[in-house]
Amino acid sequence: MSIIDRRRFLGSGAAAAGLASLGLPLRTALAQSGEIVIGAAPPITGVFAFAGAGLHAGLGDWIEWKNGQGGVAGRKLRYVAEDSGYKVDQSVAIFKKIVAQHKPPLFYGDSTGWAKAIAPEVSQLGSVLATGPSFASDLADPVKAPYYFMPGPTYSGQIDVLLEYVSRSAAGATKPSVAFVYSDTEFGRDPIASGKAKAQKLGIPVVLEVITKPGAVDVSAEVIKLRRAKPDFVIFHGYVLAPIPEFMRQMRDAGMSARGMGTIYSMDKSTIDQMGAVGAGFLGVMPYRYSFDTQKTPTMELIRQVGSRKPNNPWQTTFYTQGWLVGMIFEQVITRTLGAKKELTGPNMKAALESIAKWDTGGIFGVPISLKTHSIPVGRVYLVKGTTIEPNSDWITIG
Amino acid sequence: MDWLLLAEFSLVGLLSGGVLALIALGFVLVYKGTRVINFAMGEFMMIGAYLFWTANVFLKLPWWAALALTLAGIAVLGAVVERFVLRPLAGQPVISIVMATIGLGAVLHGVAEAVWGGANLSLPQLLPRTPLTLGEILLPGQVLWSFALAVALIAGFTAYFHLSKGGVSMRAAASDPVTAYAMGIDVRRTQRLTWMFAGVTGAVAGIIVASMTSLSPTLGTVALGVLAVIILGGLDSIAGAIVAGLIVGLLESLTVAFIGGQARDLVPYLVVLVILMVRPYGLFGTRDIERL
Amino acid sequence: MRIGDFHASYRHDEALFDTRVQRIWFGLLLAALAAFPFVGGSYLTYLACLLGIHLISAAGLNVMTGYTGLISLGHAAFMGVGCYTVAVAERAGIPFFLALPLAGATSAAIGLVVGIPSLRIKGLYFAVATLAAQFVLGFVFREWESVTGGVRGANVPAASLFGFELAGDRRIYFLIVPLAVAMLLGARNLFRTRVGRAFIAIRDRDISAEVLGISLFRYKLAAFAIGSFYAGVAGGLWGYFFRVATPELFGLPLSIFYLAAIIVGGLGSILGTILGATFMTLIPELLRAMVGWAEALGLKEAGVYLAPIRQVVFGLLIVGFLIFEPHGLAEMWRRVRRFFHLWPFRT
Repeated sequence: MSIIDRRRFLGSGAAAAGLASLGLPLRTALAQSGEIVIGAAPPITGVFAFAGAGLHAGLGDWIEWKNGQGGVAGRKLRYVAEDSGYKVDQSVAIFKKIVAQHKPPLFYGDSTGWAKAIAPEVSQLGSVLATGPSFASDLADPVKAPYYFMPGPTYSGQIDVLLEYVSRSAAGATKPSVAFVYSDTEFGRDPIASGKAKAQKLGIPVVLEVITKPGAVDVSAEVIKLRRAKPDFVIFHGYVLAPIPEFMRQMRDAGMSARGMGTIYSMDKSTIDQMGAVGAGFLGVMPYRYSFDTQKTPTMELIRQVGSRKPNNPWQTTFYTQGWLVGMIFEQVITRTLGAKKELTGPNMKAALESIAKWDTGGIFGVPISLKTHSIPVGRVYLVKGTTIEPNSDWITIG
Repeated sequence: MDWLLLAEFSLVGLLSGGVLALIALGFVLVYKGTRVINFAMGEFMMIGAYLFWTANVFLKLPWWAALALTLAGIAVLGAVVERFVLRPLAGQPVISIVMATIGLGAVLHGVAEAVWGGANLSLPQLLPRTPLTLGEILLPGQVLWSFALAVALIAGFTAYFHLSKGGVSMRAAASDPVTAYAMGIDVRRTQRLTWMFAGVTGAVAGIIVASMTSLSPTLGTVALGVLAVIILGGLDSIAGAIVAGLIVGLLESLTVAFIGGQARDLVPYLVVLVILMVRPYGLFGTRDIERL
Repeated sequence: MRIGDFHASYRHDEALFDTRVQRIWFGLLLAALAAFPFVGGSYLTYLACLLGIHLISAAGLNVMTGYTGLISLGHAAFMGVGCYTVAVAERAGIPFFLALPLAGATSAAIGLVVGIPSLRIKGLYFAVATLAAQFVLGFVFREWESVTGGVRGANVPAASLFGFELAGDRRIYFLIVPLAVAMLLGARNLFRTRVGRAFIAIRDRDISAEVLGISLFRYKLAAFAIGSFYAGVAGGLWGYFFRVATPELFGLPLSIFYLAAIIVGGLGSILGTILGATFMTLIPELLRAMVGWAEALGLKEAGVYLAPIRQVVFGLLIVGFLIFEPHGLAEMWRRVRRFFHLWPFRT
């Protein structure tokens, strides 16, 4: 071969290899016929990583287990997920990419911002049913957000549960007072207005509202205000971990006896453990059964069986449970839609979702649930005692 | 007007300003020594806190050994940064050096997230928590001790700069490198030392902040607030950094008291904007004389 | 090989495309851009739209920072102003061909307000003043709930032209890309005029420029206004594209992204803007593809490292370009072009 031929051959070979390797992810991702693709853009890294990793593992493991059982309605499932880093522009881009390449009928996102950004496109496409870790009240609306559902109660619903608990905790006529401490984000502000209204309805005085930056560092000034306001309960919402422990510690240093309360994302054991000694007596609402609950139930046992075969034990977190639950809900939607001999389109899946009523999740929730409102308004109040988190109320259905 | 409440907020604010002054000291050291704003100071703080966590919590070394190792590690990082990032860029326009430190910050942030993960970690309680009660006013223990620590460190640095030979030669090299060379001072060495000191200051501040809250790769965002401090005080004035740190701490506390937490980060910047209209080089900064 | 520079008139000398070959290539480029959405597929069209928005914004920033020397750390906030203006305008029923210029004008107005202190403040102090502007505007976005929707953000309906909705990437492409081409040409043209040359003079030696009779105040404000106008239009297009405006989208990381784009591309050059914005938009895609290969080859947990690696690569790119190629990709391009123009002679 002359020099020019050899060079051209090598050049075109390199170009071909380059083009082929660009196609590699595409090739491995082409779904075989009959497969149902489930797309996801979970926040595996970033500020929500503590939850995102568990959510991703829970959903992924459920899909793997289900495929081992023969799939759903005879069809295998394929999980296509990519980390969004909890950034809306990333998760929107991943959504568009996966929808373009794989056409999944079901998708798991990463935040309220993502859900709202893709809502117009989801409505226009009419072929995707979406969910995610956001429990924002706006999104539990079958009319305005028809193709979105959430695997738990809205943040407003969670605050309602806490306020009901506060109201019932006092025997006499005067209700205990409450202070709200929340972050200046959509996550933080979402339930506050309805929470204040509910407190007023129950006759609970709201003595103080404290807004902080999401990752607030120095809270001494805020604690001064709390100390003067003397609330009996302090409800924290909109935080990942910080600054709740620092608030609790400074409140104890200042001699306050107020009890702290948290919502779903503050109540996983990994977060509570990091509070250390100040966490004792902390209350919170959690919709799911904890993995270490002493009451044995079929689904939680299954989760333990499947999850404990994987490294790092993510199965012990409530985020894994949530991911698993999302998988189970997806299964219900698919079987109900295909069982009625309908295609997996948006309107059909919406109807199937809303038909889920009195469904026994096998132990994730303590009562049968319904998804008519696109949310699951059920939860239980838990109390932190030493190194365990124990139930402190019955399973409450809100609304 | 509840004077007692105002006094309490003011005192707590001034004390919190101690840590801000410490971080500002790190910025000012770098600026005085090399005429660069180190936008990666927040990441230095974060890496320092992570190194301490690794030594103290992960390897279970006693705190003084962990601190020594952390400071040594950060000093090495500072020297490496100065040699391989800043020195090749000497003489480049301001925007290049600003962007270089921003890029450096991104690299450090990514490395921290890759090595230690994005989750929140806790440092043990390093500062005593018992509060000081002055009648109705309660001063949290951690705030008091962090202020005391900051004062001690700043006093130590100031003494070093004015009384020791090394410190005086650093000041000489900063104010006039050419003459300093002529006098036999190794200007490159002082610049390296400047970065190492700044790194050490940042690391200590980072450990203090992390022990008061929690440790995550986003710890560095505290340093953004300190930019307001150094601009207010003047980029090349240590006294300015201290005064401005206290003022900004006070302002933040009073903002929380009377407006609310959402404006807390904003008010110092607004004040800075106003002050810059009147004194374009900050309260104590030296006026730049431009030569054509 | 090109020999010599055969300009016969001043007009010819100043022309943007001075040879027929250049004009033909440009025409081909326009044709390719017009045909792209029909051959590229929906994800590539989405990327192209995003790139168009980045190009407009980076061009504005380059006018301010690259050509005039005013370091702005608050560029993303001006985009946010444009985006929210479009959201409010659509709510008031103003169609997009009026809402976009309005967005640009509002941003320019706010740019003027922020730029007024620039008369006295210089250099790093000015950069931190723009950072302060970024925080102030971010605060306004979060707190002015009646207009901006607060932390919830504002939804932006699709741009519509007499009932024809520009929804979907393919349709919005034909709004974004022509506008990007026009605005880039406009920016390039700016530097053939007196105003543009005044900007360059201010960057190089502002006191000398003032001595020569260029009013520093007026021209610095003009630079800020033009840069903010571009940012506002880019922000408005962002609104029509993503259909939502939230305060978190327009924070400091986005400002730093644009600064990195113009530095990597090359300060003070429109070609640099194009190369830099393209490079910065495509790098995350390349990294994602690489992580995909790594996972396909067996490293299952590679996906977790994508975000930190992206940060590290971003930082290394900035530092690397600053140390090794301070004039950016544009300079590399010019070197390659010079090599081919002068071949077989050495450069």
